[in-house]
Amino acid sequence: MKRVSGSCKLGSLALLALVALAACVVGGYDGDVGVGYVGGFYEPGGYEYGGWGGGYRVGPPRGGERAVGGRGAPSIPHGARGGGGGGHGGGGHGR
Amino acid sequence: MNRSKRSARNLVRQVLCATLLYAVAAAVHAAPGAVVLPALTDPASGERHVGKVIWADLVTPDLDTAKHFYGALFGWTFRDVPGDPNYTLVLLDGEPLAGLFKKPLPSGPAAQPAWLTFLAVTDVNAAQAAAQQHGGKVLVKAHDYPQRGRQAVLADPDGAVFAVLAAKGGDPSDYLAAPGEWIWSSLLVKDPQRETAFYKTLFGYDVYDLASEGDPQHYVLSTDGFARAGLNALPADSMRRHPHWLNFVRVTDAVDTAKKAIGLGGRVLVAPRLDRHGGQLAVLADPSGAIFGVMEWSDTDTKQEPK
Repeated sequence: MKRVSGSCKLGSLALLALVALAACVVGGYDGDVGVGYVGGFYEPGGYEYGGWGGGYRVGPPRGGERAVGGRGAPSIPHGARGGGGGGHGGGGHGR
Repeated sequence: MNRSKRSARNLVRQVLCATLLYAVAAAVHAAPGAVVLPALTDPASGERHVGKVIWADLVTPDLDTAKHFYGALFGWTFRDVPGDPNYTLVLLDGEPLAGLFKKPLPSGPAAQPAWLTFLAVTDVNAAQAAAQQHGGKVLVKAHDYPQRGRQAVLADPDGAVFAVLAAKGGDPSDYLAAPGEWIWSSLLVKDPQRETAFYKTLFGYDVYDLASEGDPQHYVLSTDGFARAGLNALPADSMRRHPHWLNFVRVTDAVDTAKKAIGLGGRVLVAPRLDRHGGQLAVLADPSGAIFGVMEWSDTDTKQEPK
């Protein structure tokens, strides 16, 4: 009887431990675990890069460039740090 | 009687054990809140620039190699943060501009280290809900970091991954990035129409269509009267590449930077080339394979478009 009781206890504890650990796991892109900083991800691999033809452009406009419809496309902020963005149409992320 | 007393004692013990286990689990689960990340602006800016790229995190399996590579390439320095030995701040001239996050490569399908782009929002929960409502996914639910603010990781309808951040002290001001800082971000997608609609809904972007011959689907996403990011259709052989955000660091010489990157164990994916803004840009990969861009930007650059 004593042996059965000990086994039951162990079994219960193991089950509880499993439930408790399962509660720690949070869903993520590739299975993030909620310990410390949260937010990292890995992109799907196996892709090649490139294929940018001569006319393929990704850079920002310099300001004043006409978009479809005739509107002038804005540029990135161009002001100095601490001195504001330099007015609309200027440049950048700033960071 | 003795037996029932023993049973009762056992039950009490088991309940206590269970409580203890749950307490430990809860503490571990709550650990993200214990990571001390600095505010994006110190002193607090109090500014809000929804849709602006305000941060980037590299996820990599090898922190030391990343530190060596980016430190030598851009002059970045690094600082550990309390609460997580796997997260390191990247600084330029003492100002934080990015994070490096060490994480083991998952087993199974091929995975690639990448830079995660953070866009400014005022309400992370609302952004999460809007993303889900318009075809996106929540990859990492919102988490709070006491000084930095609240953030979540999302995927857009095309599958490109990005993060949203409601910075506690406000967003960084708008100014021209210095060499070594992030200056521009591009989103390369399969379905530009659907994607512009999605991002417009989430961030209220004003969208400019810069379509031209040889560059048929190129948009600029703007807020506050500034270009915040570009959105392009993936090149014609787009099946070779997963939709993704691509962040550019400002450099003074893209050719020189590309050469240096090779010497440090990196690769050149798109060789330096003249782009719309009149300066050169290139796409590189660090030793772990994470992709990033470098871009020249000079006030003396020609404003003529490259032929």
